[in-house]
Amino acid sequence: MNYLIVGASSGLGRELSCIFAKNKNNLIICSRNEDDLNALKSDIENRYKVKVKVLVLDLTSQEEVEKKLTANNELLAEIDGVLFPVGMMLEKDTTNLDVKKIHELISANFSSIAFIASKFISQKNEGIITMFGSVSGYFGRNLNPYYSASKRSLESYFESIAFENKKKKIKIQFYILGYLDTNLSFGKNLKLPKGSIKKLSEEVYKNKDKKSKKFFYPVWWSVIIFLLKIIPFSFLLIFNHIKKKND
Amino acid sequence: MYTYLKSFDRSYTTEVMLKRPDKYREIEKFSKESSKLITMGSNYSYAPIAFDKKSTVIDLSHFNRILSFDEKNKEITVEAGIKIFDFLNFTLDYNLWIPQLPGYPYISLGGAIATNAHGKSCGVDGTIRKSIKKIVLYHKINGWLNLSNEENKEIFDLTVGGLGLTGTIVSITFDLIEFNYTDFLTVKKKIYSIADSINNLKENNKNKAFVYSWNTTHDIENFGKGYMFINIPKKKNVKIPKILKKNNNNSSNFSFPFCFWNRLTINIFNELYYKLLDFKKEETEESFLKVVFPFIGKENYFRFFGTKGFVESQLLVPDLVLNIFLDEIKYLCKIYEPSIALFSFKTMSGEQKLLRFEGKGTCVTFDFVRNKKNLIFLEKVDQLCIKYNILPSLSKDSRINQNTFNKCYKESEIFREKLTNFDKNRIYQSEISHRLKI
Repeated sequence: MNYLIVGASSGLGRELSCIFAKNKNNLIICSRNEDDLNALKSDIENRYKVKVKVLVLDLTSQEEVEKKLTANNELLAEIDGVLFPVGMMLEKDTTNLDVKKIHELISANFSSIAFIASKFISQKNEGIITMFGSVSGYFGRNLNPYYSASKRSLESYFESIAFENKKKKIKIQFYILGYLDTNLSFGKNLKLPKGSIKKLSEEVYKNKDKKSKKFFYPVWWSVIIFLLKIIPFSFLLIFNHIKKKND
Repeated sequence: MYTYLKSFDRSYTTEVMLKRPDKYREIEKFSKESSKLITMGSNYSYAPIAFDKKSTVIDLSHFNRILSFDEKNKEITVEAGIKIFDFLNFTLDYNLWIPQLPGYPYISLGGAIATNAHGKSCGVDGTIRKSIKKIVLYHKINGWLNLSNEENKEIFDLTVGGLGLTGTIVSITFDLIEFNYTDFLTVKKKIYSIADSINNLKENNKNKAFVYSWNTTHDIENFGKGYMFINIPKKKNVKIPKILKKNNNNSSNFSFPFCFWNRLTINIFNELYYKLLDFKKEETEESFLKVVFPFIGKENYFRFFGTKGFVESQLLVPDLVLNIFLDEIKYLCKIYEPSIALFSFKTMSGEQKLLRFEGKGTCVTFDFVRNKKNLIFLEKVDQLCIKYNILPSLSKDSRINQNTFNKCYKESEIFREKLTNFDKNRIYQSEISHRLKI
């Protein structure tokens, strides 16, 4: 089987690439860092004896994604599945972010992913699509409004394509991720424990042939999200106000 | 992030700014953000080589990929953060390896290069320097550099055994050699004195085997009695199994709250171990893992030194002065009664240059409880090192001071000069570079 892994050069993407390669799947790995992709390609080819192709793709520019994918149309034809372990966060992601950065965030976290997924669906009758959302997409917070909004959009998009493709044999998985042990969370003082990306990658591989489904990882985040959902929004606003005052 | 780091011998603990890049451009970015830097592999050096309170620590643990492998030409390029066990799991599949490996498999190869590490067979195989073909180094000001005997030779020489002071070692190309063995035949031989030990060492080192001794110091009448071990590789036509599956060193920072080792417990332990060896067969079959990585499964030995830790003194003694040096050590032991937990010999080869712990002679290793009495004894040993041109290992002994270093390492000033020429701002600094004024 051949899989396209978008955002493969580090963190979860790198771990997923290794797990899929270890299980004798050929890969097309893509991200915007050519040096890192080439290093990963060599590592995987040497260790697991599978074929790896590199595609340099900057998801922050939807224009570039469209151009490159159109130019490499044959790549999509040869793949059996696509995974999107990709996410972009900016430290300055606040409501006054400049418009160029807003477009980049939305493109990297939602629209470029939606574009690639749609292209895949249009060419295939079967296969897998795995997307990764975030618990931050469930509630707006003081932080990262555009990141959270684009992750929420992605989840909504997942639901739509899952309904639309029910009759096709395309299995679409959506993982809602809590804190993970990656460079994004390295050194941050988080109140809750981080999930292991190795375990998550193994789970993703194990679940890949299951019917379209949402998963929480780590799984206990489903309880937190459920509780947050049943609390009226006005209560959350008051709580946030008190917390800010105390800080 | 800010975190606390400890040296393996527990002599130095400090809070540092730690950065863990996982992309090449992050190495550049994090380096450019700080004025003082130092690179960390696994932080298994006994002395604090990989960190300092004033330097941002670049942790290279994510850089553990195999960048190229040429089975025909027996050549491999790996990133510097790769651990020895991961490296061997790959190369041994092709019956290839490098023989100059330190005794713990979770050490990174970048760290092994920075300390010019050696293994049990250093009398025959020398230090890791002999297997290095090329290094890619990143320096904050000088950028990305290819280092080898053909390209940037001076910086190459400074980097191998240069304690990470020339920059971040990012990748290394090694020349591999064939290794078709899965097990070893370990032959033990009783020794009755230090002289007996040295004679046996020299005699057996002619064979291509791993030869080392375990000696005791508690019995002054029979000073140096113990056992000699000879590990002879046994050929088998089967694939070598994966030596280790994962890094299970999570509890490496743990140590017992008190020191278990003192003169009494060491004497009892040594005597019991000596008797136990008496009962063991002359020849036993041992696995690759047990022979090449003798510290695996024996981590409690270090933890028993407690929170104050230990001192390991590893000395490269020229053959010409070995007997007189050991006589003086015996005399000092009589007077100062130090508590020595480990005493061992092996032979070494190679050429001493710059900061490298390398050269022709005998490698004498002592482990001490870190207490006042032993530190006084060790000061006397330092004086012997100066007197007899003996080389103390900088990566093992975190006590070595500038005076001992300057006098024992004849090229210390040359190293300083060359390093300052290469890096005028002396960006890469660690506790050891401060202590030794490098």
